[in-house]
Amino acid sequence: MRSFGALAWRQITARPVRAFLTAAGIVLGVAMIFAVLTLSATVQNTFDDLFASVYGRTDLIVAGEDQTSLGPAISDRVAAVDGVAAAEQRLLGIFVLVGPDGRASEDPGSTLNIAGEDPRVDDLTDSRIVSGRRVRNGNEVNLQDSWADSQGIELGDRVRFATPAGVKALRVVGLFEFSTGLEFGGQGFGLIPLRRARSLLDRPRGSDEIAVAVDPDADPEAVARQLRRALPSAVKVQTPAAQSEDVQAQLQGFDTVIFFFAAMALFVGGFLIYNSFNMTVLQRTREIGMLRTVGARRGAIVALVEREALILGTVGSLFGLGLGLGLTHLLVELLRASDLPVGKLDFTPTAPIAAVVTGVGTAAFGALIPALRASRVPPIQAVLGTEGLRGRPRPLRGLIGVTLIAAGAAGAYNLGAADQVSNAEIAGGMAGTLGVFLGIALVAPFLIGPMVRVLSAPARWLLPAEGRLAADAARSDAIRTAATATGLLIGLALVVAIQTLGSSFLRSIEDELDRTFARDLTVQPRGFSPGAGPQQSISHRVSAALARIDEAKVVAPQRMLFVEELPEPPPPDQRSGSKTSGVLFAFDPDVFDQVDQTTIEDATREQAFAGLKKGGVTIGRGLADEYGIGVGDTLLLDGPAGKRRAPIVGIVRTVFAGGQTVGMSLATIERIYGVTADSLIAIKARSEQDRAALRSKVDRLLANRFPNLEALSNEEVKADAEDQFQQVFGFFGAIVAVAVIASLFGIINTLSMSVFERTREIGVLRALGATRRQIRRTIAIESLMIGLIGALLGIGVGAAIGWALLKGLAAGVPGVTYTAPISTIVGVVIAGIVLGLLASILPARRAARQDVIDALGYE
Amino acid sequence: MSAGILAIEARGLRKVFGSGETAVRALDGIDFEVTEGEMVAVMGPSGSGKSTLLHLLGALETPTEGVVAIAGKRFDGLSDRHLTLLRRDRIGFVFQFFNLLPALSAEENVVLPALIAGRRDKEVRERARGLLARVGLEARASHLPKELSGGEQQRVSIARALLLEPELILADEPTGNLDSRSSAEVLDLLGSLSGEEGHSIVIVTHDPGAAARAKRIVFLRDGKLAGEVEGGSTQRVIDRFAELEG
Repeated sequence: MRSFGALAWRQITARPVRAFLTAAGIVLGVAMIFAVLTLSATVQNTFDDLFASVYGRTDLIVAGEDQTSLGPAISDRVAAVDGVAAAEQRLLGIFVLVGPDGRASEDPGSTLNIAGEDPRVDDLTDSRIVSGRRVRNGNEVNLQDSWADSQGIELGDRVRFATPAGVKALRVVGLFEFSTGLEFGGQGFGLIPLRRARSLLDRPRGSDEIAVAVDPDADPEAVARQLRRALPSAVKVQTPAAQSEDVQAQLQGFDTVIFFFAAMALFVGGFLIYNSFNMTVLQRTREIGMLRTVGARRGAIVALVEREALILGTVGSLFGLGLGLGLTHLLVELLRASDLPVGKLDFTPTAPIAAVVTGVGTAAFGALIPALRASRVPPIQAVLGTEGLRGRPRPLRGLIGVTLIAAGAAGAYNLGAADQVSNAEIAGGMAGTLGVFLGIALVAPFLIGPMVRVLSAPARWLLPAEGRLAADAARSDAIRTAATATGLLIGLALVVAIQTLGSSFLRSIEDELDRTFARDLTVQPRGFSPGAGPQQSISHRVSAALARIDEAKVVAPQRMLFVEELPEPPPPDQRSGSKTSGVLFAFDPDVFDQVDQTTIEDATREQAFAGLKKGGVTIGRGLADEYGIGVGDTLLLDGPAGKRRAPIVGIVRTVFAGGQTVGMSLATIERIYGVTADSLIAIKARSEQDRAALRSKVDRLLANRFPNLEALSNEEVKADAEDQFQQVFGFFGAIVAVAVIASLFGIINTLSMSVFERTREIGVLRALGATRRQIRRTIAIESLMIGLIGALLGIGVGAAIGWALLKGLAAGVPGVTYTAPISTIVGVVIAGIVLGLLASILPARRAARQDVIDALGYE
Repeated sequence: MSAGILAIEARGLRKVFGSGETAVRALDGIDFEVTEGEMVAVMGPSGSGKSTLLHLLGALETPTEGVVAIAGKRFDGLSDRHLTLLRRDRIGFVFQFFNLLPALSAEENVVLPALIAGRRDKEVRERARGLLARVGLEARASHLPKELSGGEQQRVSIARALLLEPELILADEPTGNLDSRSSAEVLDLLGSLSGEEGHSIVIVTHDPGAAARAKRIVFLRDGKLAGEVEGGSTQRVIDRFAELEG
């Protein structure tokens, strides 16, 4: 050993298993951070590529907000503006490959993002035909070369696609490639002639966007200003870069959430470091006392402990990067499974650097308090050993803990209550959650005694010796047991909190469906997930075909549009300054009442539907409360296709989209927002007896002509909602699982330490005739209790956080009621038991194997 | 050799640690026995093999050669589990450092062997209380070990050793960690347990005064028996020990 500092390295190599268990949390946390950063960069890169590809030669994009469409007059007005060299109208839609069996594939990779363009206008994308030629007219299509390749499609093939207007065979007349080599999560891009797109996408007029190239000598900014003057206010004129930023800003919410979970995983990692170093310092008291005796100063002791933490942090972080690579691939798969296009992984230097810096920082920070504690060990402790050092929790600690929990819960409530989630509220909510966890860590030692007494009762009754010894071991260092259980608690509490929100919302939605669904069937695109980006649309031909089925009494198409900005009261009455996102919901007021019984308040149903027919709107209770408006007030509908004041003719009681909804007639949504295709179709049978026949006829029709659509019974709609919910939360669950696994290592570490400290005691027990099995059982029971305490506290904390979030949410969304996630709670208890037993395996074996004489002679 | 029933009997005990050139003969052919109700002290310099002997008698270790039998029951051929059960039911241990479990009260510590054996009947608790009374600690039953003096702790551990009525009590330096007054109390207790109450006791000790309380004192040196004297006189023990060292 060349220097005093090298002692830190020796300490680590002397106990490699301990080092591993201590650093495990850092490894997993860093892996998580790295994966999340890489993923975020990749998603961003995917969209950068997308915009660079699709708008390669485009200077300005003229489009409506979200998925709204432009009215027919817009394109001429764009072309008439000075400085516009070319204006290319586009229709956008989604086709799905139809397999040889006639079924539409549900693999995200068989999705084709289709654009309809006028073949006479110059192509303003960044594509380059690599073989064949550009489409001219008729059933022709150009496909992205790499995608065609992956699907085994060649130039000249006739390929069958499920389009909104039914299955159509298109001839591949050309293959193109983007210069960026765009990879969009396996999805492909294609081009068809504009006229063909009008019929296939059911868009007889107007367009979805207009790509503009300006004259070489014109200033794009000046042209944009002119365009804005010439066009309706709801039409956006943006550079591709600005549009790209908009899309990415919308993805940010998702980023924030996954960063939060990643931070939690790292928080658990830091906690493990703290706990482990606390134990190590206590165990080395004699040694530290000796170092102080021979002249090591306090600073040197702090440096020694910190150096050890830094080494563990660095090595752990490097391993974490390796693991993070694997984790990134896993998360990408999960994201693709939920239809988010993720392109080629984009490895930036920022991700590993940030991950390692956070990892090492967390290790250093986690070890700080133990290091300071070590430095306060007086030299005399070299003689006294650990005597009298094991602390009892002080009342002040409890007080601070309770305060933190209360403040944290308030933060969570605030986050839930926020109408529009701003960064401040998210930060508050996250800080709140963190506060709750820290508070629990402080309060938990006080709970350990009573909890152990209760939990160990069955064990003590069944196995008196083992049960009693295990209970004493768990209780003897309540602070340590509490810290270990808290590590586990964090992950489990997050699961419970998420599922509390989920089950409450799901239940409320299901209740609403039960109450309001007067329909028998819902026809929707396969993989329909409202709110998750552009969806496949349904042509009017589908509802026309459905209406010809004898057993169908009512066929009611619905159109849904998720918008970042809901309509507001017109000026000067404008009451809200901030954007309110929500859903525009359109239906046929003549028949909708027969398929939907959603409660309408402040007006009779007759009045409301009559008003809707005349161009009025209904709004959700949540929105009405937020704006402070009601029946008799007006909303300003301002879309890229038109603009009008609409009277509010009824208030709808719904939990859907949090009550942030605006309902209108099909005619209104077309006139204002340019939406001509349907999102889904509700069908009611002539009579109950006709239901079965209706179902089979609808199924047959869809299978033959519209294989990308499916018909769902009301029960299936509910199951579908639950599936979609579970998919999203499965993703969060995967991230939280990392924190739970990290805490497993924490339990193992604590138990190993407990066994190590009790070596002599175990020796005595063995001498007194305790069998190896009895020793193993004792350790297993201790571990089981730690696991159970973690699970039970996790359930309590998670339910409380979930409840606070929900109460906050319910304040803005009337009708959402608290539903306890029973199956999750049962699952968490089982997880606690399983993790506890799992963690005990190695330490218990080690304890049982100890040589009796060595153990007795051990000091 | 005294007449009477043998509490424990060892024949031709040999214990070798390690192998080849580094092999250490801790015990090198020893015969040893204790009759019922007898207290025997084992003395010898450091490294003489007295601890090893105690470990072999206590079924904590198995001999390289030779046999041990307690009340006629031979240890050889028993599995680890059966040796453990034999320890639990037939042998009581008293350690130098008392080795009470810090979280358990005096009474609970005494009951511990019964708990390990899966017994928790009233009888056991009554017996534990009776034993605590026997060692003079009735009033301290609910105290934790840290609230007891060293002598008191050792008396609790003697009560613990007696709980399951073992055939033999093995005491490893029972006074090694006690002041002279506490030592005297503990030795008085052990003496009366063997004398009037008929318990068989083996104590390993450095202290000639303690050894002299035994009926016989057996001396070990270099793993072999090095003589034996009758108890009763401390001076005789000291003289004999000095001979051995010299």
